[in-house]
Amino acid sequence: MKKENKLYDNGTFNVLDGEKSKKADRLHRAIKKEGVDFATGVPCGVLRHIIRNISDDQSVLHIPANRESEAVGIAAGAYLAGKTPLAYMQNSGLFGASNDIASLLIPYEIPIFFIVSYRGCEDDDAIQHLTTGGATERLLKSFGLSFVVLDGHDLDDLVEIMFQKMRETMLPVFLLLKRGWQI
Amino acid sequence: MKRKEAIETIMTLVNSKDIVVSTTGLISREIFEKFDSDRNVYVPGSMGLASSIGLGLAVSCPNKKVVVIDGDASLLMNLGSIVTIGKWQPQNLLHVVIDNGAYGSCNEERSMSDSANFDKLALNVGYQNVRIADSQEALKCAIINFRRGPEFILAKIDLGGRRDFRRPLKLAEIKNRFMLFLH
Repeated sequence: MKKENKLYDNGTFNVLDGEKSKKADRLHRAIKKEGVDFATGVPCGVLRHIIRNISDDQSVLHIPANRESEAVGIAAGAYLAGKTPLAYMQNSGLFGASNDIASLLIPYEIPIFFIVSYRGCEDDDAIQHLTTGGATERLLKSFGLSFVVLDGHDLDDLVEIMFQKMRETMLPVFLLLKRGWQI
Repeated sequence: MKRKEAIETIMTLVNSKDIVVSTTGLISREIFEKFDSDRNVYVPGSMGLASSIGLGLAVSCPNKKVVVIDGDASLLMNLGSIVTIGKWQPQNLLHVVIDNGAYGSCNEERSMSDSANFDKLALNVGYQNVRIADSQEALKCAIINFRRGPEFILAKIDLGGRRDFRRPLKLAEIKNRFMLFLH
């Protein structure tokens, strides 16, 4: 444990709870199996493990964005160039990027795999997350987009099914991750 | 310089093998009507994202030149994008901003480009070359003299011009033919 903390202090890996996340490793492997070779997004603490995995993966071209809309544009460009992009963000930022999903990805039929942290879905979260937390699933439903809230699923199977759905519909799909998903 | 002249100058000088990404509103509509081509990507919605899409394309296909035709208000809407472009230094990216100082596709309400100093901003965030062009001749020189991206051309134009262009609507078809053009 002491060694782990030392690693963190040295910035060797970004593990705030002192442990590497096996679930993030599995998610990483699962999206790689589906061909993900490009990533962009805006960080969220809930996603820190998977972002770290992606950043450390030399086979994934990782172009972080300043804002979630920008990430949607960068991911769209990468897709048009033949990449299989991942976009990651907090659900608050999903609202900011919602028009870009609606007016770029949907009419152009650009399938992007989104990993979205799901803040405010439980009442004990910070007040600024509660409105978007309560509306996230309704936002995606109202756009006619598929999503899954990770809840005890087998990550390998789930990611495979989501990519299948994404390729069939040619629309973005969204994996929503609640706080503590990585444990 | 008029919008028509700026667009004609750019579109006749850009090599037919190069990618063109054009911003929302009359700029995309004029290009679609007069210079439609498989190599074009129009951004009719998601205003501001042309440069982000261009970045995603440029980093994903380093052997293709990417020309982004942006507008002043579009750029202001996603200003963080030039920081990301400056950070990643895509050598194959030419970012042209057609600046009429207004939301020309709306009712020509003024934008804030007159006080934005785009040329200085672009240099400060790391563009390799910044040129200002206020005539067709200057714009022609600026485009021909592209050396190493990211380069930035600020093309100053007058307000006004034709407005009754048809709209690019079949975006999924435009995507498919673009991806065939690339591969």
